[in-house]
Formats: sequence, structure tokens, C-alpha cells
Amino acid sequence: MSVGLPHYLVVSALLFSLGLLGVVARRNVLIIYMSLELMLNAANLALVAFSRYHEQLNGQVMVFFVITVAAAEVAVGLALIVALYRRRHSVQVGDFATLRH
Amino acid sequence: MTDFAAIGLELAVAATGLAVLLLDLWVRPEQRRWLTWTAVLAVAGIFVASFALTLPEPARLFGGLYVLDELALFFKRFFLLAALLVLVVGQEFADRFPAGHAEYSALTLFALTGMMFAASANDFVLLFVALELVTITFYVLTSFQRRRVASLEAGVKYLILGALSTGFLVYGLALIFGAAGTMNFEQLAASPPAVLESRLLTVGLLLVLVGLAFKIAAVPFQFWAPDVYEGAPLPTTAFLAVGSKAAGIVLLLRVWFVAAPALTASWAGPLLVVTALTLLYGVLCAIPQRSLKRLMAYSSIANAGFLLLGFCSGSAAGVAAVLFYLGGYLFAVLAIFLVATLAWRGTDTDAIADLAGLGQRSPLLAGVLTLGLVSLAGVPPLAGFFGKFLLLKSVLASATLHPGLYAVAAVALLAVVISLYYYFGVIRVVYWGQQAAAQQPPILLAWPARAALGLCVFGLLWLGCFPANVLNLAQLAAQSLPWR
Repeated sequence: MSVGLPHYLVVSALLFSLGLLGVVARRNVLIIYMSLELMLNAANLALVAFSRYHEQLNGQVMVFFVITVAAAEVAVGLALIVALYRRRHSVQVGDFATLRH
Repeated sequence: MTDFAAIGLELAVAATGLAVLLLDLWVRPEQRRWLTWTAVLAVAGIFVASFALTLPEPARLFGGLYVLDELALFFKRFFLLAALLVLVVGQEFADRFPAGHAEYSALTLFALTGMMFAASANDFVLLFVALELVTITFYVLTSFQRRRVASLEAGVKYLILGALSTGFLVYGLALIFGAAGTMNFEQLAASPPAVLESRLLTVGLLLVLVGLAFKIAAVPFQFWAPDVYEGAPLPTTAFLAVGSKAAGIVLLLRVWFVAAPALTASWAGPLLVVTALTLLYGVLCAIPQRSLKRLMAYSSIANAGFLLLGFCSGSAAGVAAVLFYLGGYLFAVLAIFLVATLAWRGTDTDAIADLAGLGQRSPLLAGVLTLGLVSLAGVPPLAGFFGKFLLLKSVLASATLHPGLYAVAAVALLAVVISLYYYFGVIRVVYWGQQAAAQQPPILLAWPARAALGLCVFGLLWLGCFPANVLNLAQLAAQSLPWR
């Protein structure tokens, strides 16, 4: 059995769903953040697979942009989470309730 | 026009941002405020320079990634004007930041660069990068008052939900690329019918629309807005409400009308439902609010609904109305936030009740605030009235296409009536509210703040009384989308 486009897409969809599940179900900000990165990487995998399938490099170039943006997002995000941790001494989203609906 | 000459406006803004960031290292602390005024002057200069740019025909540059047409130019001028006023608000707010005043101005300019690139996006790659430049900058701007827990919490909340919407957006991009083999809007629209009808493309486009609906805070992706607007510093809230929303709108215009016009035309029904729900959710939830920032958050959701009316009508007149409406919205929102910043100097409040007595403390500020609120409420002869009138007119003009358009126009009228209640509630507090025990001192205004207030008032009156000039620009801009 050779590994083709559908296999990559199934793995990518699974990764995306796992990430989404993590964001919705977990209560720890850091784990939520890791799950978000998982969602981005699921998209990266799909982009590379499609790029190979269409035999053009656009998709892979896009992956570089996504990786770069994700790195910037992580840098800003972790700084924010650390700053909030210093004030709140917690990384549980349930404790961040100054702003209520 | 060479590639780099075309992005001259963006390069100038980015260079100004970098210059502010660098000069901050050598300027003495007591002279730092001049850095922001220099940035304000530079942005004003770039705004004026944008009118020297004439376009015989739309230019496509960087291999079709970037388009410079009248629509892009209209939004670039809009963003420059918004950032100009936000910089002034930021300078007036600077006493409430612990440090990093120059960084705040620089970050505002970087967000402006992202918005200006978004105005020219003709490809999903540039759409993604420009949107992220705006969003990531806003994470920092939102949590800039890092001694205030609410500001940090708002930043983290925006971060998580913003990153989630980015995840949907990127996955959508991957699926669109998979279906069509291209990420260019025009090439996508010219794809063979088998591609345009594929389920992969439909799902991908829906995911991209989720990401954009999050940016403009349309129901059901509006839940982040009230908390983030409330926690963020006032100038950031103003920039979120105006700049970030307009960046979402221009990208939505391009995706909706350029990338997949046939597909999106078949989604008229769901769009009508989303528009009506956004309008109703915004106005109904705004009624019980006691915080001005939360009120403005729900008002911005309702305004996203009004802007979506132009998409519902699906005509050039509708898009022109959206652009004109955004102009009025810009001046009204920035007038309100500028007044709030000046009136609440030295305090850490955002309660509407604390505006009580403003009518006596500063008749000028109270008058400008009233003008802004009345324009948002849509009372003639101000800008907001004419914008709402144009939007409703465009919806009724296309009502033969879809019977639901009559219903959505009725909902919009109802929303206007309900919104009168809460906007006038604020005005009542300003003039007739119960004051705190001690008589508060009158408010002194520096000349830059006076100039910015004057600009807002001029914009509101000019757009309301003499709409022809800006409306011509808006109609010209709407014509640069492909209409069949």
C-alpha cells in the first residue's frame, strides 16, 4: 500500500480535530496554547500534501509564512501568559474572571 | 509602476514606526512626547501624499499578490486617518501607561502597516500575513497596561480566541489551495466549474469566512469583543473598533466579491440570517451596559451588522454605502474615545456614570461626545444618518433578488430605533447625570487634542451635510470590484 494524498489529509484532519478538542476541553492556558499550535501544524501538513499533489511550490511557501507567523504569535503569547501569571499566580483559565459576561 | 514604488505608502508607515522605535533610545525622557507628535505629522504627510497618487488603471504587483486599485486606496486613506487620530488618543492616554510610550506609537504604526497591506490583498497568502500582522500587534496593544489585571486578561483572551480563528483561517486556506491549486483571488474565480462546485472549496471558503467574521465581530463569532474591548486601554479599543474591523471588512469584500462571487451569491440566505442576528444581538445587549467600553463593544457588533447589509444587497451601490458608512463610523467612534480619554484623565474608570457633569466641566467635550453619539444613532444631518440611509436604500433596491431582504431591512430599522435608546442614555448622563460629591475641575485641553476634536467634528458634519465628495470616492472604489 502506498501512502497517498488521502492519508495525509486524514492525519491532518485528525490533528486539527485533536487541537480543537484540546482548546475546547482543557483548562490550562499553556495546554490550550499548544493545542492551537497543533491546529496550525495540521494546516501546514495539508498544505504540503496538496503542494506535492498539485506539483507546485505555492503551498510549501505558504507553510514558511505560517511557521514564521506562528513563531511570532508564540513569542507574544507566552510573554502575555507569563505577565498574567505574575499577577494571578495561576495558568487556569477559570481564574481569569475579572472580565465577566 | 515598479513593485516597490507601489507599496511606497506602506513602506513609509513601517519606516516611521521603526524610526520612532529607534529614536526612543536617544531622546531624553522629557522630550519623548515629541516622538509621537512627529509620528502624527508623518502619518498626516503620508495621508496627504496618498492623494498625489493617481491610478489610470488597477495595478497588480508582486506576481498578482498585491493589487493597487481605487478600493485599496480608499481603505489606505481610511486607515491612515484612523491611525492619526488613534495616535493622538494614545498620546493623551500616555499618563496611564507604566512605560513604553514610544513603543505604543510604533506598534500602532505597525498595525497600520498590516491594515494597509490588507487593503491591497489579492491573494490568500497576503491576506493571511497582513491579518496576522494586525492581530499579533493588537495582542500587545490590548495588554499594554501591564499593571492592570483586566488589561492582561483581555490580552490573553484575545490571544486564545484570535489564535483559534487563525487556526480556522489557515486550515481554510489549505483546503482552498487543495481544491483550486491556486491562492490568488482572481485565478480562483476563473477556475473551471468542477473546481468551483467542489465540496473542498466550499468548506475551505467557509473556514476562511469564519476567520474574517471573527475579525469584524459578527454573530456567532462576536463573543470575544465585549471582554477584550472592556479590558483594553482606550486608544486600543478605539483602534480595534475602527481599524481592525475595517481591515476585516476590506478582506471580506475581496473574498466575497472577487475570489468566489458565484459561490457566495448562493449563500445569500445564511448571510441575511447572520446580518439580522448580528444587528439584534448588538443592540439588545447594549441596553443594560454601564461601562462605556462595553457599550461601544456591543455598538461595534451592531455596526458590523449594518456593514453586512451592504454585502446582503450585493450591488456596487451597497459596497459604496459600506465604504461611506465606515467613514462616518470612524469619526464618531474616535470622537467618543477621544472625549472619554480626556474626561477620565487621572482616573481608572470606564463607567458611563462617571461622565456625569461633563456638560458643566467642559461644554466643548460634552458637545463633541453628543455629536459622536448622535451620529452613531443615525440622526440627520450627521454622517451616520446618511450612511444608514444609503445602506437601507441599497438593500431595498436589490430586494427583488431575495424576499428576505425586506425582512432584514425591517430588522435594521428596528435596530436603529433601539440604538437611539442607549446612545441617548449616555447623553442624558453627560448633561443631567448625578455628579459625584466634590465639584470636579474644568478640563484643560492642549492644542493637538483640540485639533483632533475639530477634525472629528468636521468629518461628522461634512460627511452628513456634503456627502457628495466622499460618496464619489466610495462609488469609484466600489467600481473596482468585478460586477457582472
